[in-house]
This record gives sequence, structure tokens and C-alpha cells, in this order.
Amino acid sequence: MVELAFLIPLITGIAAFFLSRQHGRILLMATGAAHLLVSALLWLNRPTALFSAYFAVTPEGLLSLLVISLLFFLISIYTTAYLEAADIQRERMFTGSMLLFLATMTMVTLSDHIIVMWIAIEATTLASAPLIYTHRSAAALEATWKYVLICSVGIAMALLGSVLITVSMDVGQVDAAVSFSALTAVARQLDPSWLKAGFIFILVGYGTKMGLAPMHTWLPDAHSEAPSPASALLSGVLLNCAYLGIFKTNKIMVAAGLEDFSGIILIVFGLISIMAAATYILKQTEYKRLLAYSSIENMGIIAFGTGVGGLGAYGAMICLIHHSLIKSSLFLTSGNILLGCGSRLIADTGNLIKRMPKTFVALFGGFTGISGFPPLGIFIGELFIIMAAFRAGRYVGAAFFLLSLGVIFAGFANHIMKISFAGSADVAPAPENACMIWPQYVLLLTSVILCFWMPDSLYDTIMQAVTVSGGGF
Amino acid sequence: MIHSVDTILSLVLLSTLFSLGSSRLPGLIKVIAFQGVVVSIVPLFIGHVISAGAIVFTLATLIIRGVVIPLCIYLAIKKVAIRREVEPIVGYHASLLAGLALIVAAAFAGRYFDAPTLSDSALLLPTAITVLVGGMFLLIARRNAIAMVLGYIMMENGIYLVGTTFSARAQHIVEFGILLDVLAGVMIMAVILQNIKQTFDDVDTALLRTLKE
Repeated sequence: MVELAFLIPLITGIAAFFLSRQHGRILLMATGAAHLLVSALLWLNRPTALFSAYFAVTPEGLLSLLVISLLFFLISIYTTAYLEAADIQRERMFTGSMLLFLATMTMVTLSDHIIVMWIAIEATTLASAPLIYTHRSAAALEATWKYVLICSVGIAMALLGSVLITVSMDVGQVDAAVSFSALTAVARQLDPSWLKAGFIFILVGYGTKMGLAPMHTWLPDAHSEAPSPASALLSGVLLNCAYLGIFKTNKIMVAAGLEDFSGIILIVFGLISIMAAATYILKQTEYKRLLAYSSIENMGIIAFGTGVGGLGAYGAMICLIHHSLIKSSLFLTSGNILLGCGSRLIADTGNLIKRMPKTFVALFGGFTGISGFPPLGIFIGELFIIMAAFRAGRYVGAAFFLLSLGVIFAGFANHIMKISFAGSADVAPAPENACMIWPQYVLLLTSVILCFWMPDSLYDTIMQAVTVSGGGF
Repeated sequence: MIHSVDTILSLVLLSTLFSLGSSRLPGLIKVIAFQGVVVSIVPLFIGHVISAGAIVFTLATLIIRGVVIPLCIYLAIKKVAIRREVEPIVGYHASLLAGLALIVAAAFAGRYFDAPTLSDSALLLPTAITVLVGGMFLLIARRNAIAMVLGYIMMENGIYLVGTTFSARAQHIVEFGILLDVLAGVMIMAVILQNIKQTFDDVDTALLRTLKE
């Protein structure tokens, strides 16, 4: 049952390589729907896995899985329309890789064994590499090369970190399964110095994949060169998957009483990422790169929140969910702009409100959400994180955090205003396909609804996920 | 005390030095293949009980690390017939010197760790560190994309050395998963290499610097 969640897209993904265009598109949507169904069932029943040594249904995994499922289903609807409009060569490769990508990401959310987690995260890199190379240009090639090499080397560090954690079991003479859940239970017996070394390597490794500065260099390239549905997946859910690896390792650290050590490292990496994003966002000339840097910012915020702990860990989870929903919608919208304006440069767009009014609504709605307008989700998450930082006495960190957020808001707003309102007044309206508008609206609406009404089971699951790492109120 | 595994590990150390000093790509590939073979038989000489499963797994590792992966890279360069120099950023002699310094540093560093499984071999930890960092050095100090991929493979060899020898816990099925990932990664890199060659007519990574900021 649990394993079905990744076996379905795995099988359909392989099948998609042999199907015709039309069948491939139908298969993509059907798999998205089936996956959503399986995820919902997992959410309701929370069964144990068949191979329980390797896989488990955990609260944090379930949260990510549900987000992945919902996003993929909506993105698959968008993709069918996008593929029609964008004229992508080797479409089978694209649909097949999308499905394999879904399978590997699902495997990340469900894996409990430390090494299986690593295998799954490395597999996401491999499955998504063909997606970035879809356009087959020199720039796309460079982005793919950077992505595969930097992420593979980075993730190799995480493998070393995982091995060092098993060494900490040997040194501490612990006899337990090599899984996150088992290790969290016996964390106090693990050898602290090897555990610390393992955590650092895992943070650097998965941090590379998550887009934490200064290991983020692949991210803007990959996100801007990939076709928009793929960028939406990369930014919306792939980064979460990498974060999941860090989150679970941090849980072991907290259980071992080393939360001060792991916390300060997470805070420093988080702040560097936010500040790096603030520096680069101001002078961006391409809107997809702008969104990519905003993802780096949000990953920084999430790392910062996790490092602060307490209320901050809860805030980080809120930010994680809302960032996925809003940022994927923004990347899908960027696809519409690209099709309408035919250029990735901000300077070539303009007057979107006249040119593509429906797309404008999605863009502007996404912008208000992602930049943290009260009372939307990201605002609530950031507020919790700042409160937690003050409670923990991290005033300097909080000051840098607030300053960078201010700069990012100013830079982001400036670019969005240019895209939306600047430029000549008399532009012909471009056609807008309903299938390429509604997925964004649904994503944004979900985010808005979650701000005002959060189902009890969702709240409980978030609390279960963060209480072990000292989260909650 | 000289342990039999130390003899094999010294071969690994030598291969690292050779890889830092080699200027031609085919030579470098052969060194990496040799290193892959030696690294994959190390577990047989470490004190674990040898089971049938362990032997099958060792054979699989040997074939993939020692034959399939190097062959993959070799075919990639043969097909595209590129200039077969590794285009160093740091010269060969300086690289060799750095390698020697690395071995000394790793030997010193190895004494500060207390890992219980290491007691019977003096060279294990220093070798692992040397291969790992040496691979990283190759990755940074060569501009040729193929040499960079080889550096990555060397790094993976180092991690494998740390992994199988330090801890007896990892199950074979899991290790096989790692191996499969590395193999698939190298294959994808080989495909990208061919595309880089077709697009840019060279595999010098200095050409891959158009995307910035």
C-alpha cells in the first residue's frame, strides 16, 4: 500500500517512454490523479509499510507527500496544455521523466532508512536532469551539466554524512536499525562527535540540493532553463524533499541534545541564503531567475526557522507548505508570460494587465502571497519565526532576517510592477488557455484557504512533525 | 603491525597519486578503473565474516566500479574523439606535491579519530580521506569536463571505502542501490559530455560560463 505511491508513477513513467504523444499526456494526468488518491488514502489511514525497515509513513513525510501529489496533479493539467502550446521536441522523454521524477520524490517522502533516503534524493537529481535539458539549447546544456555535477558532488557529501552517522552508532555501541525513526529514539546513546560530523556533511550535501547559499549556484540556472512545469516541480517540491533530509537529521540532533550545535549552523546557512537572495534579486533581468532567487530566500527562511526551533519550527513548516503552493503557481504563470511575450527578459514584458489579464491576476496574487503580505500564509510563518528568534534571544539574526526581507520585498515588487504595468499602453491581448490559468488559481486559493481555515488533521500532523524537534507553542 | 589489507590500501594510495599526475585522459581512466577494482575488493580483507551474499555483492561492485563505469567514460571520449589532455588549472607537479602533502595530512588526521573498527589497519582512514579529497582536488583543478567526472568517481570510491569498512550495518540491497545511483549518474554525465562536445566542439568547462547571477 505505502510502496504503491511510488511504484505507480515508476511503472507509468517507464511506460510513457514508449507511448505516443496523446497517450502520454493522458497517462500523465491519470497518474497524477491516481497518485493524489493514494496519497489521500495514506493520509487517512497511515498504514505501516510492507518493507518497514526502509519505508515508513511519518508526519513530515505525509505533509510533503500531500503537497507533492496536489501540485503534480495540477501541474499535469497545466502541462498537457503547455505541451500543446510550447512545441517541445522529444515529448516522450519529457512526460516519462516527469513521472519518474514524481516516483523518486515520493520515495524520498516515504523513506525512513538513512541510506534509502540518500538513494532516493540522488535519484531525483538523475530523473530531473532530462527535464532541464528539454529545450536542447547551449544554455540548457550548461544548466544541466552544472545541476548534475554540483548536485551529485554535493549529495555525495550527504552520503558521507550518512555513513558517519552509522559510525556514531558503532562508536556508541548502539544496536538499532539505521533508520531515522529508530535513531531518534536512541539518539542519546550515539557518539556526539561523529554525529555532529555527520550532521555537517548531511547539511552541506542536502543543503546543496535545497539551494542554501553558498551551494546554490546551480539553482537559478536550472530553474530558468527548465520548461515552466518542470521549474514549478523543481522549486515547489524538489527543494522540500531535500529539506526533509535535513529536517529528519536535525530531529536526531535535537533528540541527542545537540540542538544548539545544529541550530546555529542552520541559522547561519539560512541567513547567508536570505542575504545572497537579497543581493541578487535587486539586479535581476530575467523573471524566471527572479523567482529562482526567491526560492533560495524562502529555503533560507525555512532553514533559519528550523534552526531557531520552538515556534520557529512550526513557522518553517507553514512557510514550507505555502511556499510550495505559491511558488509553483508563480512558475506556471511564468510559463504563460514566456509563451505570450516570447522572452525571458523582464525588459521585453510589460503591461501584462492589458496583454494577459488572467495571467496578471495569477502573477500578482502569487507575488502578494510570496512576499509575505499579511494575513497570508508566508506572513504568518515568518511572523512565528521572528517571534521565536526574539524569544530565543537571537536579536542579531532576527535583525539581519528582517533587513533582508525588506530588501527582497522592495526588489521583487519593483520587478513585478515593471512586468505588470510598465511599457506601452497599446498592446494586443494574447490568448489565454483556461487549462493554463485555473491550476494557478487553485494553488493560490488553497494557500489562501489554509491561512484562514486549517483542518484539524493537518494541524495535528504539523504539530506531530515539529514537536520532536522542540517545535510548537 | 602490517595487516594484509594495508598492502592493498597502499595500492589505492598509489593510484591516487598517479591520477593526480596523469596528463592524458585514457591514462587517467585506466588509473580510475584500477582504483575501482582495488577499492571494491577491500571489504573481503576486512574482518567481516565472508558470506555468499558478500561475495556476489563484491563481484557486482567490482564489475560496475572497475569495468562498466570506466568503459562508459571511455566510450564517451572515443565517440567524440576530443583532444585528450586534461587541461589542468593546477600543474601536474604541483598536483603531485599536493597529493603527497594530502597523504601526510590524512595520516596525521587519521590518528585523531577513534573508530573502533579501525584498530586492525593503520592505513584505512588515511586512505579513505586521501581518495576523497584527491577526487575533489581533481574536480576543482581540471578544466576538462571528463576529468571532472573522473574526479567525481574517485570521490565516490573514497566514500565507498569509508562506508563498507567503517560499518558492517549497511545491508547489501541498500549498497546496491547506491551503486546503481552512481552508475546512472555517470551514464547521464556521459550523455551530457557527448552533448557538450556536439554543441561546443570541445569539453573545456571554461566554455560553460555564460549563465551568471
